[in-house]
Amino acid sequence: MAPSDTDIQNVDRLIHEPSRLTIMMHLYVVESADFQFLQNQTGMTPGNLSSHLRKLEDAGYVEVTKEFLDRTPHTALKLTRKGREAFKEYRRNVKRFIDKLPE
Amino acid sequence: MTKQNTLREIEKKAYMSYHQDGLLDIVIGLYALSFGIGIIIDRLWEFGFATIMPAIMVSIVLPIWIHAKKKITMPRIGFVKFGARGSNKLFALFLGLSIAGLGVFVLFGVFMAAGQSGRPFWFEMLFQYGMIWIGLGSAVIGSLFAYTMGLKRLHGYGWLTFALFASGYFLRIPFEYLLLTIGIVIIASGAALMAQFIRRYPLPKGAQDNGAQ
Repeated sequence: MAPSDTDIQNVDRLIHEPSRLTIMMHLYVVESADFQFLQNQTGMTPGNLSSHLRKLEDAGYVEVTKEFLDRTPHTALKLTRKGREAFKEYRRNVKRFIDKLPE
Repeated sequence: MTKQNTLREIEKKAYMSYHQDGLLDIVIGLYALSFGIGIIIDRLWEFGFATIMPAIMVSIVLPIWIHAKKKITMPRIGFVKFGARGSNKLFALFLGLSIAGLGVFVLFGVFMAAGQSGRPFWFEMLFQYGMIWIGLGSAVIGSLFAYTMGLKRLHGYGWLTFALFASGYFLRIPFEYLLLTIGIVIIASGAALMAQFIRRYPLPKGAQDNGAQ
């Protein structure tokens, strides 16, 4: 059976996972941020954040740039155009689904 | 809370954490303090220091601010670049205030050149209560920046300036001493914020970025 417009199956499952949704939300409201800033804001552990970022990067939602600044590793992160569109679409789908739920 | 509000809250939290280091306050306070010191030096040696002091401060304080941001703020909370929306609003405010300031300056020059007999009554009133008007202007400017930047404490600095200038007018306290007081109060507030910021965000031990895992 094909999912309808209001079906929860329509939402992007990659974004729907709470940790990745948190990352997407935090990156959505800024132009770019580094790993440390994102870790501070989300309260996630470095390993957890890193593994979720890798999944988002693989999907083409997050652009990861690694460089050295003053001899310290620096990871710059930003949502790609595809990531922004996917997040907007996710919001639309969740809202549509929630709006159709009975009180 | 709606999702839109949640996003605004996240944006605000990110923005606030970046501006709770007290550096902006210290810069504003230093600016007021140096202006006051400049006027005192002028009174002692007639050097014209108050005129060039703001330019000296911009050329000295701005690089120090950028350096301090890199050395104090970024190692603790990381780096973030906010979107153009906020910067555009701030630029529009700067532009608006500059044009308004230029307008006031030209108007002031025209009326001063006209001589006492040529000046309208309202201008004489403005001139007579100049310190109160400057205080009120500071409060309005502080509030505009507080609203644009989302930093509520700038409201407080603006209205504190107004309160001090208004009471200074009636108590006949010289302008430069009021500037020194405002400068010291704002620097102290900035230093307290910085101490709080350093306690809340200690320097991470070892490697500072684990994004390479």
